[in-house]
Amino acid sequence: MKARLYLLEIATPLLAILFGAAVASLIILAIGKNPLDVYAVMVQFSLTRPDSIVSILFKTTPLIFAGLAVAVSFRAMLWNIGVEGQYYVGAVCAAYVGFAVRGLPALLHLPLCLLAAAAGGMAWAFVPIALKLRRGAHEVITTIMMNYIAAAIILYLISDVLRDPTQLGTPRVRTPLFAPSARVPSLGPFLGLLGVAVPEAGRLNWLLPVALATCVALAFVLGRTRFGYEVRAVAFSPDAAEAAGIGNDRVRFLMFMLSGALAGMVGLNDILGFFGYLDIDFPKGLGFLGISVALLAKNNPLGVIPAALLFAFLDRGAEGVQFFSQVPKEVIVILQALIILAIVVAYELLTRYIRGQRKREAESAPPLVPPTRRVSLDTAGVQEVPP
Amino acid sequence: MIASAIRVTMPILLAALGAVYSERGGVVNIALEGIMIVGTFFGALGDYFFAQRFPGLTQAMPDLAPLAGVVAAILAGVLIALIHALVTITFRVDQIISGVALNLLAVGVARFLNIQLFHVATQSPSVRGFDPIDLPLLRAVPALRPLATGVSPMIIVALILVFFTHWVLLRTRFGIRLRAVGENPLAADTLGINVYRMRYAGVILSGVLAGLAGAYLAIEQAHLYFEGMTQGRGFIALAAMIFGNWWPIGAMGASFLFGYFDALSLRVVRLPVPYEFITALPYIVSILVLAGFVRRAQPPAADGIPYVKEEE
Repeated sequence: MKARLYLLEIATPLLAILFGAAVASLIILAIGKNPLDVYAVMVQFSLTRPDSIVSILFKTTPLIFAGLAVAVSFRAMLWNIGVEGQYYVGAVCAAYVGFAVRGLPALLHLPLCLLAAAAGGMAWAFVPIALKLRRGAHEVITTIMMNYIAAAIILYLISDVLRDPTQLGTPRVRTPLFAPSARVPSLGPFLGLLGVAVPEAGRLNWLLPVALATCVALAFVLGRTRFGYEVRAVAFSPDAAEAAGIGNDRVRFLMFMLSGALAGMVGLNDILGFFGYLDIDFPKGLGFLGISVALLAKNNPLGVIPAALLFAFLDRGAEGVQFFSQVPKEVIVILQALIILAIVVAYELLTRYIRGQRKREAESAPPLVPPTRRVSLDTAGVQEVPP
Repeated sequence: MIASAIRVTMPILLAALGAVYSERGGVVNIALEGIMIVGTFFGALGDYFFAQRFPGLTQAMPDLAPLAGVVAAILAGVLIALIHALVTITFRVDQIISGVALNLLAVGVARFLNIQLFHVATQSPSVRGFDPIDLPLLRAVPALRPLATGVSPMIIVALILVFFTHWVLLRTRFGIRLRAVGENPLAADTLGINVYRMRYAGVILSGVLAGLAGAYLAIEQAHLYFEGMTQGRGFIALAAMIFGNWWPIGAMGASFLFGYFDALSLRVVRLPVPYEFITALPYIVSILVLAGFVRRAQPPAADGIPYVKEEE
């Protein structure tokens, strides 16, 4: 029985992905292309070329941070839809520390940049959570509004205050180059030591292992520590938690700030790890993808890793599809949204099914056998609405 | 200035009316932004293709093409709203998640279709709007003259809709039932009101109105579709509805407030503060409004909570 439930839980996301692919197939058919060919191109392009693999891994890093940021807030029954804006601000802060501070050794400078990014993300997350806890303003809309404000402010900062003076006559709008000590070192030499001699691997940087380690650390903190227990208590039974002396507001505030700090790291892979400056056209939209990643991972920090890999794969595959089969890559954007809708419906149906099963079990089995409690906690996931 | 504020208010107002219907029935509809996006795209699309297909008819009755755009926008909006209703009411998935996913879907769909039909990613060809009309009585008053000449018929429709919606919610059987479902679905259910059907109706009406809002943006305001033209007005509309205390006339007042700040960003050229800060004003005002610095609001009691009919 338990094994079957476990199997179902793994099968659900796969079914949702299949459903998304089926609808996307209809769209591809409608524009007169063969969906199987398109998917074949996608898989072949993404998985058989070393540069594609590197590109997927490169894109996984920011998606992990974005997914973790959203998942952490969802865990506390809070809606951080503002990861997008938080990572803009984090990126600007890291960029400023990156080019304005000179003469520090990399061992100090780089952590300082990461701290600046986290602080920027937290500062941007502070406004919505403070307004929620103090004034009862729902964080969904305030975080969305903060996204637009962040976009306006960084546009101003990059094109005006922080613009590289040597680029003034040119159409390039970007900050000055960062000090070499602020650049995240490449993973290439390390991979070389391991015997992975892929020339493109130089694009990967140490933020990828940092991201993976963060997933493991968060899984430990949320799953095995006292704080993680408090978070679950506040999420599922706020009144009981409060009565037991767990301050609801304190836990919510800490989780939201943690979410903001993680969001601040989202942009670093691109600016500190690759470009070496903050351009006005730096990658956007990662915060919204983070929501999708977190939902697919069911807010499980370890589940964020495969979910981020999948979205990075879809992203890379979209480029291949656009180039080789002349199907606009927006099909993949549609596919991503459909997967999310399908996945939340599937999880909901699964939860209902399990509830029904448990009820039937409770009716047939002798009352001494306790029901499988763990499953219910896991699958209750994001369905509850925060008050 | 007032006239231009009224013009930029319209999309926010229409979407806010949609939000009133949806949330009075107890469904939070974050997908309004996405519905507006498909509304702008299909509004421009319907307008453009009708003019291309039936040049003779368009020549004879120039308002037919924009009308076709409006119809297309409403249909597209209803389609997105139906998905939202299906996912949140029937499957009882969290309403915010569904809305977020639908907003992503709308961006993807608009971009994809734009590439397929217009061969560029982010912009449609320009389209024609409705012929502006002059209001006969008001025009006679000199002070109101700039407001009463060259008015878009959609503005008049929108203003009528505000009072109509107010009347519907306050006086009609449908409106009272809708509010009952949003306040106490269990009680409504025991009285024999079909909760699911009422909620579907509320969400679909929000699709109609937000689609209309998008059509207004594309057809009347910009005379074309371009990507990102909604600029979060769907979300601002939600803030306006909250500020308006979930009532249409209140939402209208709040929409004018946002419209005023929006018009400011169109008008102000030279100021000591950077232009980007002016464009951020409507969002900052929304946050202040939501934080209740202006007024406390009273949402429908069952807003955002899925209703489970059978005993579980």
